[in-house]
Amino acid sequence: MNKIVSLICIMFLGLNSYSQNKFTISGYVKDAKNGEALVGVTIYKKGSQIGTSSNEYGFYSLTLPSSTDTVIFSYIGYKNYSLAIDNSTKKSFNVELAEEGKDLEEVVISSEREDANVKSMEMSVAKLDIKQINKIPALLGEVDIVRAIQLLPGVTTAGEGASGFNVRGGNVDQNLILLDEAPVYNSSHLFGFFSVFNPDAVKDVKLIKGGIPAQYGGRVSSILDIRMKEGNSKKLAVNGGIGTIFSRLSIEAPIIKDKMSFIIAGRRSYIDALVKPFVKSSNPLKNTSFYFYDLTAKLNYKINDRNTLFASGYFGRDVFGASIFKFNWGNGTGTVRWNHIYNSKLFMNVTAFYSNYDYLLQFSSNDGNQSFKWTSNVINYSIKPDFTYYLNSKNTIRFGAQVLMYDFLPYKTDITFNGGATSNVKAEKRYGIESSVYVGNEQKLHPRFSVEYGLRLSNYNFIGKGTAYTFRDTIPNTALPLESSKSYKNGENIKTYTIPEPRFSANYTINQKSSIKASYNRMAQYLQLISNTAASTPLDVYTLATNNTKPLIADQGSIGYFRNFFDNNLETSVELYYKYMQNQLDYVDNANLFINPQVESELLQGLGRAYGAEFYIKKTKGKVNGWISYTLSRTERLVRGISNDEWFFSRYDRTHCLNTSVNYDITKRWNISVNFVYLTGTPGTFPNTKIQVQGYNIPYNTDGIRNNYRITPYHRLDMGATFAFKKNETRRYKQFIVLSVYNVYNRRNAFSIYFRSNEQNQNQTEAVRFSVIGSIVPAITYNFNF
Amino acid sequence: MFKKNFKISFLFIAIISLSSCEDVVQIDLDKGSPLIVIDAFINNLREDQVIKITSNSDYFSTSNPTGLSGASVILSDLTSNKDYTFNYTTDGKYVYALGVNDTIAKTNHNYKLTISLNGATYIANTTQKRPCGIDSISVILNDGSFGFGPPQDPNQPKKYLCVLFAKDKVDNETDFYWIKTYRNDTLFNSPGDLNVNVDGTGGEVEVASTDSVEFTAPSTLLGFKDYYQNDICRVEVNSITRQTYNFFVQAQAQINNGGLFATTPENVRTNFSSPKDKTKAVGWFSISSVATKSVQIK
Repeated sequence: MNKIVSLICIMFLGLNSYSQNKFTISGYVKDAKNGEALVGVTIYKKGSQIGTSSNEYGFYSLTLPSSTDTVIFSYIGYKNYSLAIDNSTKKSFNVELAEEGKDLEEVVISSEREDANVKSMEMSVAKLDIKQINKIPALLGEVDIVRAIQLLPGVTTAGEGASGFNVRGGNVDQNLILLDEAPVYNSSHLFGFFSVFNPDAVKDVKLIKGGIPAQYGGRVSSILDIRMKEGNSKKLAVNGGIGTIFSRLSIEAPIIKDKMSFIIAGRRSYIDALVKPFVKSSNPLKNTSFYFYDLTAKLNYKINDRNTLFASGYFGRDVFGASIFKFNWGNGTGTVRWNHIYNSKLFMNVTAFYSNYDYLLQFSSNDGNQSFKWTSNVINYSIKPDFTYYLNSKNTIRFGAQVLMYDFLPYKTDITFNGGATSNVKAEKRYGIESSVYVGNEQKLHPRFSVEYGLRLSNYNFIGKGTAYTFRDTIPNTALPLESSKSYKNGENIKTYTIPEPRFSANYTINQKSSIKASYNRMAQYLQLISNTAASTPLDVYTLATNNTKPLIADQGSIGYFRNFFDNNLETSVELYYKYMQNQLDYVDNANLFINPQVESELLQGLGRAYGAEFYIKKTKGKVNGWISYTLSRTERLVRGISNDEWFFSRYDRTHCLNTSVNYDITKRWNISVNFVYLTGTPGTFPNTKIQVQGYNIPYNTDGIRNNYRITPYHRLDMGATFAFKKNETRRYKQFIVLSVYNVYNRRNAFSIYFRSNEQNQNQTEAVRFSVIGSIVPAITYNFNF
Repeated sequence: MFKKNFKISFLFIAIISLSSCEDVVQIDLDKGSPLIVIDAFINNLREDQVIKITSNSDYFSTSNPTGLSGASVILSDLTSNKDYTFNYTTDGKYVYALGVNDTIAKTNHNYKLTISLNGATYIANTTQKRPCGIDSISVILNDGSFGFGPPQDPNQPKKYLCVLFAKDKVDNETDFYWIKTYRNDTLFNSPGDLNVNVDGTGGEVEVASTDSVEFTAPSTLLGFKDYYQNDICRVEVNSITRQTYNFFVQAQAQINNGGLFATTPENVRTNFSSPKDKTKAVGWFSISSVATKSVQIK
């Protein structure tokens, strides 16, 4: 630890020597059409290697060797902009880039500099432009960010319909999903079918699987950074769509032209209305309500050249209900950010956010005399200043801090008994504070060799008010018996964990076309999802690290070879990774995970390891574009008391994953796209015998090995076509029809195989294939914008 | 009341939301190693008490399991220091025939079951718990207003539901129950009929505060089964130990463990200890106090 700190100090000390007598310019880069900040624009001194790129707020800072120079702003799909600097004292230049006319309808897969694949520090990173996500043929015609992510190398799921996604062998709770920097706890609507992100309000999406820079922390496997649009600051724009399953509408407009704008976007599903005709009038489900909605909004205000304020929020809910039960859940997030430019070299962003996830499950008898109500929530508050110091053209230093408050209500129950007696049980709230500081530097050591190194130091306190339990040890895989408990006062510290998280990446550029990159990162995570089901349910609660449950730690190393072909038109990469995880959660047999004040006694913690090779080929430009990714991987766990204390496959282990996504722009008005997915079947625990007790036939495995079989492979072909109506040149109104066919060849892919006794004949035990989407799903969607 | 309803809710959601489908498939499974399965559920009813010892069978076998004969089966009442020997009849059944004034099961007594077979001795212990009181079984016309099932067709015989009214003791002790329902002496015994509860409610929701006087739904609904005129509905409420309750909950989860939210399959626990190098015994030993009531639908 001390060695790392001193090493970093030494590296920083060596920085100042070459920062004298230089000229630094800075400013924002925006889209001339709608005023949206452009992220990742390349800004370089003409005819040189000196360059930088704009950050996530569109800010750039570039230090030039002299004060008379020409600087080029370059961005795919946009016209180059040339800025002449003529020895003036002016240092602030805000630039607007105009789209290239000729390829207006053509998809640009990567909005980055052409050779970013090879040249950038980033590895194990996938960026998706919303324009591109829009072209992927989607389930029920609805564009979905999380489903698009699942087509990338290294990303899998436990199965169709399972919420969330698994990155490089990490569990679904190991992804930090950020919507405008606020964490989203449940990213799914309708279990795993749709994600909560409204594509109309999303600007870009970045998934970081490895080489995670020091400014990110809190989850061990990946960062999914979703940035919302700022809202058109030039003119009113409306986007909308009417689909098979839901409708969307978004409105964006300037409030003060070029200074203040907003976007507001909403969706509402109408599955309940569609299902009704198919439910018999006698069915108690007839009066079922069943829908989801979400609302996303953002306001930005450019106070002056140095200060910009953003406020954004999301609110969404899934609602189910029938005569005797109610079930709903949802997220709400709110973020306020302040961008401040101290000087042309120092940029600051301060984010304060609030995030809430809660659910309600209620049953009541028809006469209302008996009822049961169950609620739970997770609340986060945080403040997070981040600084970027553009020291010189060779060093970019990032530093900052974060304080994060966790406020959990594991459960609250309200029961009314027959006869009017009531019982209200509220679990003790759980509190934790995670505070961290970080510093990192991206340094060009040599024109062909750059490194990024940093350290994040996270400190976590499990605090009162609350009761801390101490458990006795017992035979593995049984709930631990309580030994003692102790009450703590408000804010009193119960347990502290401090974890240094070193981060490192390096890029060695072999030539203009190829490079080798390597990275290492350690990540710590202080909360985990408690879920022992195949797919996580909306009822699953998180548990904080406590005196019993240790924080999750992951170490990951990866190495990759990146090469571009055909004038940067074809990007390829091969990456190898190895990830080692400690304190991953598992559960004792017959665990009682819900409404249990001592749920910690039912938890086991074990090791995880994941390794694999990811192959990626992406064609970024041209009429035919898209990607092919193939991942060969293994994900295993080792938990004392489970599977004879040997390594076993994790539930979402898939040996082979092949994802193909190809888009063909036939004409300016017609576009077709095709996806093909092949995944090795997930493992399952199958019995090898059965035992009969009280007439019940109970499956049993005498070997005691978990996940000893695999279900059949999953493969699927999807097709989509988008037709743009002929544009009336005098009007801005544009209309599109999107046709999509999901699971074209009607394959009944298994989600799982399970075992049961036949309801009619108990002695007839059978294996059942359970498919979530067992048929072809065609859909049509109408989209418009003006 | 929540555990079972919890499952029902997911069933509902599964029905509506997913175009999911299920079909029976043929797969090859490995052959498991042999086990001795002991099915020892004793009660205080005045009837012959039976312990069944069988071998395990191939998972897809449709025949009844093979009975194992030649075992010595001794039930010991540790509290009153008395042994009862069970004698082999057929099909793996070992029976203790009650004499006229004989009682083998007494509330709050501790019991040990010792089974010797092929040179190995298997032992399990349990305690008999206090009985609950049954007030009555009420019969209601199932006209659909209850929320389950369609309205009645006037041309068809009338359908009835039977609802249990039973009382749990309110004190600091947690009681666990296993409710068995018979229609005309036939036990409802499909996996969905397994009906266990805590303190008369369906789940162990912070013990003391849910200790209720009256049993609540869904346990009281007796499996939502239809009865017709002249049918006899009989209920046996077995008081069981916490361990036995957990065994049933675990077994129930294994018998039908499908869907999006299936839990990881696991081997059911046993309370039998087995000698290390001998064939492993699985199964369960329980002694329960039974409260029973029956009603004829008129």
